[in-house]
Amino acid sequence: MNNQPKWAMLIDTTKCVGCHSCRVACQNQNGLDVKESFNRIEEQEFGVFPDFNRRFTPAQCQHCDNPPCIRVCPTGASYKRSDGIVSIDTNKCIGCKYCMVACPYNARVINIKEGYIHKCGFCLELIEDGQAPACVSTCPMGVRVFGDINDPESVISKMLISKKTHRLGESLDTKPSIYYITRK
Amino acid sequence: MSTENAFDIRKLNRRTFLKLAGGAVAAASALGILNFNHWKTISQKAHLIKYATQCQGCGANRCGIFVYTKNGRVCKVEGNPIANNNLGYVCTRGHGYIHELYNPARIKQPLKKTKNGKFEPISWEQAFSEISIKLNEIILENGPQSLFWLQYPMANASLAFRFMHALGSPNTISHGSTCYTARNAAFETTYGSLLDSDIQNSNYIITIGRNPCGGIKLYQMRELMLAKENGAKLIVVDPRHSETAVIADRWLPIKPGTDLAFLLSMLNIIIKEGLYDKEFVEKNTVGFDVLADEIDIYPPEWAEKICDIPKDTIYQIARDFASHKPKSIIHRGYHGGYGAAYINSFQTARAVAILNAVIGNYEQIGGSYKPLKAVLGELKEGGHPAPMTPTISKADGAGIPGRYPAASYSDGITHAIPELALSGELKAGFVYHNNPVRTNPNPKRVIAGYKKLELLVSIDTVISETAALAHYILPESFYLERDDSIDNVHIGNYGQVSMVQKVVEPIHDTKPLIDIITELSKRLGIGRFFNFTIEEHNNLRLKPFNITTDELKKVGIKDVTNKWTEGFKPCSTHSKKIEIFSQTLKDWGVDPLPRWQEPLVSPDKSDIHSFRLLHGKQAIHTHSMTANIPILMEISSQYNMMRLWVNTKRGAEIGLKTNDEVMIESTIGKGRIKVRLTEGIHPSCVWLPSGYGIFSKYLDTAYNQGISYNDFLPTYYDPVVGHAMTNEVIVRVTKS
Repeated sequence: MNNQPKWAMLIDTTKCVGCHSCRVACQNQNGLDVKESFNRIEEQEFGVFPDFNRRFTPAQCQHCDNPPCIRVCPTGASYKRSDGIVSIDTNKCIGCKYCMVACPYNARVINIKEGYIHKCGFCLELIEDGQAPACVSTCPMGVRVFGDINDPESVISKMLISKKTHRLGESLDTKPSIYYITRK
Repeated sequence: MSTENAFDIRKLNRRTFLKLAGGAVAAASALGILNFNHWKTISQKAHLIKYATQCQGCGANRCGIFVYTKNGRVCKVEGNPIANNNLGYVCTRGHGYIHELYNPARIKQPLKKTKNGKFEPISWEQAFSEISIKLNEIILENGPQSLFWLQYPMANASLAFRFMHALGSPNTISHGSTCYTARNAAFETTYGSLLDSDIQNSNYIITIGRNPCGGIKLYQMRELMLAKENGAKLIVVDPRHSETAVIADRWLPIKPGTDLAFLLSMLNIIIKEGLYDKEFVEKNTVGFDVLADEIDIYPPEWAEKICDIPKDTIYQIARDFASHKPKSIIHRGYHGGYGAAYINSFQTARAVAILNAVIGNYEQIGGSYKPLKAVLGELKEGGHPAPMTPTISKADGAGIPGRYPAASYSDGITHAIPELALSGELKAGFVYHNNPVRTNPNPKRVIAGYKKLELLVSIDTVISETAALAHYILPESFYLERDDSIDNVHIGNYGQVSMVQKVVEPIHDTKPLIDIITELSKRLGIGRFFNFTIEEHNNLRLKPFNITTDELKKVGIKDVTNKWTEGFKPCSTHSKKIEIFSQTLKDWGVDPLPRWQEPLVSPDKSDIHSFRLLHGKQAIHTHSMTANIPILMEISSQYNMMRLWVNTKRGAEIGLKTNDEVMIESTIGKGRIKVRLTEGIHPSCVWLPSGYGIFSKYLDTAYNQGISYNDFLPTYYDPVVGHAMTNEVIVRVTKS
């Protein structure tokens, strides 16, 4: 067993109603500008009236184990932490935006005031304090489950075994740390 | 379609990339250095201080929240896990509304309208003195019944009733007649009070036009999900594929205005097939036999032609609903469907109440129940006697046989105020955190009415459309800047007490409502009714519960009753039973049983441009009060959420593509808006999100963004409750 945590998230799109509470909770937690958001929700429609349904898919930095953003960073500002979080040393970031283009999930955002790049960091300051990220704790539908996948007893580890999950853009071999449950 | 296809793998093409890169270089060089980390570290380490208070991002829920400050500035919100109404969660509006504290649009001092129509700042002393002199004149000349107070029903409501009663006016009014009064009146007629639905423990849940995932109630959202995790079935009956339909087992896109036909045929099946709870009905209800005698005329074969739900589906839903009894509910509903929607809404809500009764789910786990509410201590216990309740009738006719007999005294009829002002019956009014000019039908009419008033005083935090018409605007301190009255809005398994407490000092020259009322009272000769402080008022309210205001401030919310227990309790109806047949209604000349009634108006079948106009809430906005909050309005813009929903086939018939702009016209108004073509709506209607169409020039972010259904809605008063029948509107939609 590995004592080092490996943080991951499971997003159950069958529970998401597209309310955007996660987005604004995140903006407040991270002190973001109105136009800066680390979360977005993609809406899709299926079927023909009256046999119809919609799906809301929340998306953000996928904290890839094989992150394309890091490979293109010329200064080493983007880096992978040993706990799985893809982080940005804003001290080293020169705002070149190569990473924004490289990210297949469109997850990186320019800090409007200062010019550096930032994105979802799994609310490190909260998880270090033993709390869930802001987007997880605010969600009344329980769409998001967050936890340590190195701990076989964690809720997320058990759910990854019992539920059929997938990751976004699996063919790209990015190996995201965010897993999804999606009704076909 | 796979989820991957939802993601545009590269949203940035080369051109946008270069454009962005250019901007960033400029930003970086403006800084001179690229050391962003230094100050960021400092700001992150700043000490967070946590306050337990109550949200005011909407009027209804008043969720228990913790607000955090960093360096004296409010920065974030979390949910209070013990609060009945939100169970630890916070909605989008709750997160967004804290930013209104710092909005430059806030009113910074009392304002007076000058002769040239502009506002000029005045002192509080001048405002109190001039308002009181004018008000005294009006009362002397026209009597106190010429005065009204319009408000959302918040914790402070009792102060407003006390103030108005002390002056002798019965006209304290809420927004209810444009929202929920048909539902409330129907449940009161049937059970003596509004029940709640125990969603969490139910095995079979039907919602009729109710969309808790859009018209947010966090506990209902959470409970729906918990019930589903336990295997409950959720059936959503709604002409539009609502956000609640997204998580439903079944979406039934009913023809709008025909829910009553669907419900009557459910009753038909349940009664004819003997699926009801015979023992319960026998023991605890009145008039079942009369209903059983006439329900024959409403078989599903009849209903399917009216409501567009196939008869086999109705059979199945009725049988499933009954077979899960008593852990089976038709949700009590709210605004959508039958709150104040159609001429048949009161009877639709009656049918909902009766269907729940015949399967015997009253006061049952997983059924309908009377939520427990804290009974607050009263001011008179501290030597502050209550003023007499005026014996004179409400000007709007609420609660008066022959006028609107089932309307309640505490809600009144808000959208009647303009006519009463035009006729001269009302001469002066206070509007407290309410914006009838934007949220009532036909703004031209509302403006004409409110302009006729000799004195209009707005108590608000921003200059809404209504405040813009006022003679005086009194800026109330924001909910984060004041202590409010102890609240008992958190009802449920336990009754709770909660409160809004001050988190930061007022930024501007503002006052809490109690100070405004106290100062006015002194000058109106009723000072003896307001000779207490908010602390004394709150300590008296808490007296029955063995907790002080200071203790409550630490936790924000507290259970103060015993736990709800299962089992029949007498209703507060005349018979003490559930009144399926209502003698009261009969005495008023109203149908004593729900009977089929067509909507008042219907689309013109010979005109391919004719649709019924529906509206509903989005999770990110409250009435007209949040559209000026940039962090929320950004979502509306980014996701193109202000569009009109139109059925794909109907849209194609009139030459529309998604994002085309259309002209909407009704008998009273016109407007332009983009469309969203979708398979997720009944072909006979179009749907407009509410909360947009702000035209107060003082609200920069919201101004001229989207349109409001009120611009198209004629003014109606349903004959039983006087509600606004907000879905009785037919529009023509044409490509513009």
